[in-house]
Amino acid sequence: MNNSMIIGQYVPGNSLIHRLDPRTKITIIFFFVFIVFFANNLVSYTILTVFALSSMFISRVPIRFILKGLTPVWFLIVFTFILHLFVTKEGTVFFDLYLFQFYTGGLIQGIAISMRFFLLILMTSMLTLTTTPIEITDAIEDMLHPLKKVKFPVHELALMMSISLRFIPTLMQETDKISKAQASRGVDFRTGPIKERAKAVVPLLVPLFVSAFKRAEELAMAMEARGYQGGEGRTKLRELKIEKRDILVYLLFACAIAGLFLTRNY
Amino acid sequence: MSSKRTLFLIEVAIFAAMALLLDILPFLSFKVWAQGGSVSFAMIPIFIVAFRWGLKGGLLAGLLWGVLQLLFGPTIFVPLQGFLDYIVAFTVLGLAGIFAGPIQKATKEGKAGTTLSYILLGTLLGSTLRFLAHFTGGIVFFGEYAPEGQPVWLYSLIYNGSYMLPGFLISAVIVYFLFYKQPRTLLNAV
Repeated sequence: MNNSMIIGQYVPGNSLIHRLDPRTKITIIFFFVFIVFFANNLVSYTILTVFALSSMFISRVPIRFILKGLTPVWFLIVFTFILHLFVTKEGTVFFDLYLFQFYTGGLIQGIAISMRFFLLILMTSMLTLTTTPIEITDAIEDMLHPLKKVKFPVHELALMMSISLRFIPTLMQETDKISKAQASRGVDFRTGPIKERAKAVVPLLVPLFVSAFKRAEELAMAMEARGYQGGEGRTKLRELKIEKRDILVYLLFACAIAGLFLTRNY
Repeated sequence: MSSKRTLFLIEVAIFAAMALLLDILPFLSFKVWAQGGSVSFAMIPIFIVAFRWGLKGGLLAGLLWGVLQLLFGPTIFVPLQGFLDYIVAFTVLGLAGIFAGPIQKATKEGKAGTTLSYILLGTLLGSTLRFLAHFTGGIVFFGEYAPEGQPVWLYSLIYNGSYMLPGFLISAVIVYFLFYKQPRTLLNAV
């Protein structure tokens, strides 16, 4: 574990996708997740795939990072594909294997559903790969702004998110330090049955929690000393701004949606 | 003395960060399934906040943890499943906070047995509700993808139960242990 360890999946870069306003990215992915379910033939799937793959190439995120994001789900993709291949009995038999007959319907459905998985995972990981968590937080705060009218504590939530994100690396170092200190006294976290390992964690958690309480108190004191008193009238260090490139991307996405609805089967 | 409000916001935020951390540190969790779901100590910080600050603190800490998990690479197959698995599932953990009052009282009076039973109740409530959210999420997800005629609820039950049950037991024991060993760090809020 070292200081430069990247938390989350963010891959630094300067591509068009990286520089897009985080609100644009969130909005597009939000709608993308919904419209994937409307694709139901070759052309409509192709449109979505082209959209997703081109954003992937434009982002210039190395393929291995994207594949890493897919590792937890590739098994599911293959599994559902095989399941559909065996279970769906529509269309004509294209392959006969004594006990099993494989139908074209099953093949097509298997491919379609695997494709849907793939597109969903690809697009959601595009967001986390090209946007820092703090940018996403700022964007969410901004997008939820109207909820302030109904007394929903948007500012407080966003502040807490920022504090959480800020403290993850700090707590990580702390955990590392304490676990090394305890390991040097002979505590073994890595081997043994679950029960033993759970016991071994207590001497790690106690100092960790105690120091977290202390840190929280110090930060609260520091914030109050600097006059923090809530969201009203607070200004920002990072301002979000919609640029021409955001509008361009919105237009492209609108074209993709229009294409999808024109070509899908009804 | 800083005001309780600021301290509350910060403490909840830091403990949500801790929950995420305990979940992603490889040597502290036992992966059960490749698709997400591991036995870890991650629920402990949320329960501690819940027992320390009550219902509101618990729910907020849970919600924050869920959003953090979303930011660090979610696995979403169906919009509704994503919502259930991340937002609802982690937030309901905080409902353990309804037992905050009795736990604080029992700990101050030094009644170990009463403290233990309330902690068990609280963690059980939180874990059960989280399990239900994941369980429903699993059914929603499989309802969308699996072919007809599969006992989806059974699969979801086994999948989610396999990490939630040990997770609950570990959390309950360790939270009790922490309250027993370190009462002064865990009281004084509310």
